[in-house]
Amino acid sequence: MKHLHLLCTLLFGVAVFLFFGLAYPHHLHYQEQYQLFLFDSTYVWEIVKQPGGVVDLLGRFCTQFLLFAWVGAGIIALLLSAVQLLMLRLFKVHSSQFIVHSSYGLSFVPSFLLWLFLLDENALLSGVWAVLLTLLIAWAIVKLTKSWMRRVLLIIAIPVLYILVGPVCFPIPIESLWHGIHYYRYPMVFPWLLWAAAFSAFVLIFAIRFFNRKVTASNRLVLALCSFALVAAIMGVLVWKNANFKAEKVMQYDFMACHQQWNRILETVNAEKPNNQIGVTVQNLALAMRGMLLEHMFDYNQNSIHGLLPDVKTDATSPMPTAEAFYQLGMINVAQRTVFEAQEAILDFQKSGRCYKRLAQTNLINGQYEVARKYLMALQKTLFYRDWANETLPLLGNEKAIASHPEYGRLRQCAYNEDFYFSDHVTPEMLESLYFRNTVNRMAYQYLLAYCMLTGDRERYNHIISKEQ
Amino acid sequence: MKKILYILFTIHCSLFTILLFSACTETVSDAKQENALPQIYPDYLGVTIPVNIAPLCFNMEDETALYIDAVITDCHGNSLHSQGEESVDFDIDEWHQLLAQNPDDSLSVTVSAKYDDGWHTYSPFSIYVSPDSIDYGLCYRLIAPGYEVWSKMGIYERDLSSFDERALIENTQFEGCVNCHSFNRGNPADMSLHIRGPHGATLLRHDDSSLIAYNTKTDQTLGFCVYPYWHPSGRYVAYSTNATSQLFHSSDSNRIEVFDTASDLQVYDVEKNELILSPILKQDSIYETFPVFSADGRSLYFCAAEALPEGNHALDSIRYNLCRIDFDPETGSFGNRIDTIVDASAQHKSVSFPRPSYDGRYLCYTLSDYGQFSIWHHEANLWLLNLTTGENRPMAGANSEDTESFHNWSTNSRWLVLSSRRDDGLFTRPYFCHVDAKGVVSKAFMLPQRNPRRFYRDRFLSFNVPEFIIRPTNFDGRKASRIINDPSRKDFGVRK
Repeated sequence: MKHLHLLCTLLFGVAVFLFFGLAYPHHLHYQEQYQLFLFDSTYVWEIVKQPGGVVDLLGRFCTQFLLFAWVGAGIIALLLSAVQLLMLRLFKVHSSQFIVHSSYGLSFVPSFLLWLFLLDENALLSGVWAVLLTLLIAWAIVKLTKSWMRRVLLIIAIPVLYILVGPVCFPIPIESLWHGIHYYRYPMVFPWLLWAAAFSAFVLIFAIRFFNRKVTASNRLVLALCSFALVAAIMGVLVWKNANFKAEKVMQYDFMACHQQWNRILETVNAEKPNNQIGVTVQNLALAMRGMLLEHMFDYNQNSIHGLLPDVKTDATSPMPTAEAFYQLGMINVAQRTVFEAQEAILDFQKSGRCYKRLAQTNLINGQYEVARKYLMALQKTLFYRDWANETLPLLGNEKAIASHPEYGRLRQCAYNEDFYFSDHVTPEMLESLYFRNTVNRMAYQYLLAYCMLTGDRERYNHIISKEQ
Repeated sequence: MKKILYILFTIHCSLFTILLFSACTETVSDAKQENALPQIYPDYLGVTIPVNIAPLCFNMEDETALYIDAVITDCHGNSLHSQGEESVDFDIDEWHQLLAQNPDDSLSVTVSAKYDDGWHTYSPFSIYVSPDSIDYGLCYRLIAPGYEVWSKMGIYERDLSSFDERALIENTQFEGCVNCHSFNRGNPADMSLHIRGPHGATLLRHDDSSLIAYNTKTDQTLGFCVYPYWHPSGRYVAYSTNATSQLFHSSDSNRIEVFDTASDLQVYDVEKNELILSPILKQDSIYETFPVFSADGRSLYFCAAEALPEGNHALDSIRYNLCRIDFDPETGSFGNRIDTIVDASAQHKSVSFPRPSYDGRYLCYTLSDYGQFSIWHHEANLWLLNLTTGENRPMAGANSEDTESFHNWSTNSRWLVLSSRRDDGLFTRPYFCHVDAKGVVSKAFMLPQRNPRRFYRDRFLSFNVPEFIIRPTNFDGRKASRIINDPSRKDFGVRK
């Protein structure tokens, strides 16, 4: 029987692992890029001193690993499996074998609800840690102590747990209690699914103890399997129905643009033509990076000039692929502004490794070495950006090394040398100025002509072609 | 027996503590004597400091230093020692004691640093202790030096004799941003604070009364009242109303231009809840901004520039002069003539942030090539106008090769806090300089921190609009956020 329980937990863990690894990897990348975990005592203290700070720290620590989707999927699978195992342990305390087995499937309910919670790209791992730590401490108290001592400890545990994990330890749906606790990226949104997961854990543990007094029976194996299958089927359908695969696709395009996977982008758009703005922007960027934009842009969906260089919006997500296009074009100040604004727009006020990296690059290209150094030194305190920061720091002030660098040298040559003002729109004059500054900048050439084609500006198109010839 | 055990335990603990500390301190031995002065961060060499300032802790500029050691001595034989791996961190009480023993005198600082090849001792440098004290603290906004979107930010107060910083209000408490904090000559009894965003309001506190949230926009003014400046009587607040826009540079070292497409001035009568308008201060052909009252409260200084024709974006042709108009505090009325005090546009320059000293001797302002948002102008510098003699000169000691912009006087008019981007060219830091009885401006020094390099490197925020405060603000952030989140607002009236 014990092996059957372990097998079901394993099955559940593998399902979670495969789901996040295969079907939802870019949601994990998305999570990673909107935080910057620093191995720094001040950073840690600033988090830990808040209510729920310990789980926030644990959540942020784990989130940095989501840069590698399979590692992230493994972490989530382990956390959700651990929640289920703890639920089962708590079921077993003072319950008859019959009750434990007939309600075995219910031990998966909080884990499934947490899985549902994590389908939302704004749900944070701190919530999962909060449920896990609450159950762990509850189990430890129940397991290690006897009667009166247990009651005393439970009373003491609630305020201590509140400091460590926040209101999940006492799941009352009063919004003011949950306000300011970092379980969800929108500070003003009440995380109902997380609350439901925490609440279900409480309700189930007490319900099991209640039914324990009422019934007894045998045939444990069938009961356990049936209850597991029932819960797994219902919850599995709920997970699949609530997964946002449309967003996953958009995040995939953003991820590929961020990692400059131009060939992979072209393979993806050939398999399924994107019809959302980010997808089209990334598709056009990849085509231009491979010198194919002018010949092949109309083989794919276009979204007028909004699919080429869309107006920058004040959110954290949509400007990032556009910023990548600005950067690759050599519009360094425009890229810098776009990335800075995107980072400032992160809803829970966190910083972003991806943004810090790009801001270090744009400042380096612009010769603002002290500002670049500031970003690089912060990245040195991270696990996965440290090597890159260490490699980049010696470039600061080294004009010769920057000039011969394949990326920074090229972008310095392409960047504007004539100053003008720009606002939220990219105008053809901006592209024209970029192109005539350096006619070797084929990206600018392609974008300029593509702009003319998409707006039907024949006069400008002919003018550029004649100049080119 | 118990007593003996207790004594033994105490001795044991004391010995352990002594051993622990002695293990952390290295003796500066066989040091190579350097003829050069030490390169330290921040640059505190030869600075003049107020007698009540927090310890000037510092780091070696060269980060390969393994240890840094500093001994401060005075002419009375007193000394203060500190040593650390990253920075020297002087004991705060001993520091204040030493400064109190040496007003109007110099301290000598001998710095040694240990590198791979051993200790190096540098030529000592001096710090001059001015008997002029500085105000209790500083109030500022901390915000990322960005463009249009804001992340976490807030208004903070810092005790200048220690390292304590406290948030007055942060934008985690409501949706929006905070700016334009202002006090009457550093006295937080009279306070103005502006909130932007969906809960926009101006919070006013008069004479330590309760905070009231106002809607400062009226049908006779351009928009919300900004850039507040209190009249010395506390009865009036001068505001400007600005239609502000931003444009961004494609390749200039200055990233952003913040400019007005229209702006006017008005004075708010706190007691009568009415704005006092004057046609002479709301001309369509002129941009008027940054109003400040003179020390006697009988003049209003401000910046004025010829307005650009609509659609013209020749921003580098907008140049502000320093102007003045009479103000009668008894009747709350303006004069009918505007005088140009500094004709900066004639020199192809532009004035911003005029700030008269409270003793009426000087007026400090920022001078840049054009425009009025000088924090984004690397060439911006501070100038000092002698209001008695008319002498006008750059504040060489305070200025650097990078931006100097917003500034404010201490209540004794002997200290100036200034915003500077000299550290890295982007993040604004507060600096202080002394202006003595003869108007001599000392070298500016950076706001002290326990470990300055670590502190300023880790803080990705600018110190915005530093204002002196004479005491803690006693600002209840929770109560203020309740007021902000409550939709009710009291409307500003307009004098008929």
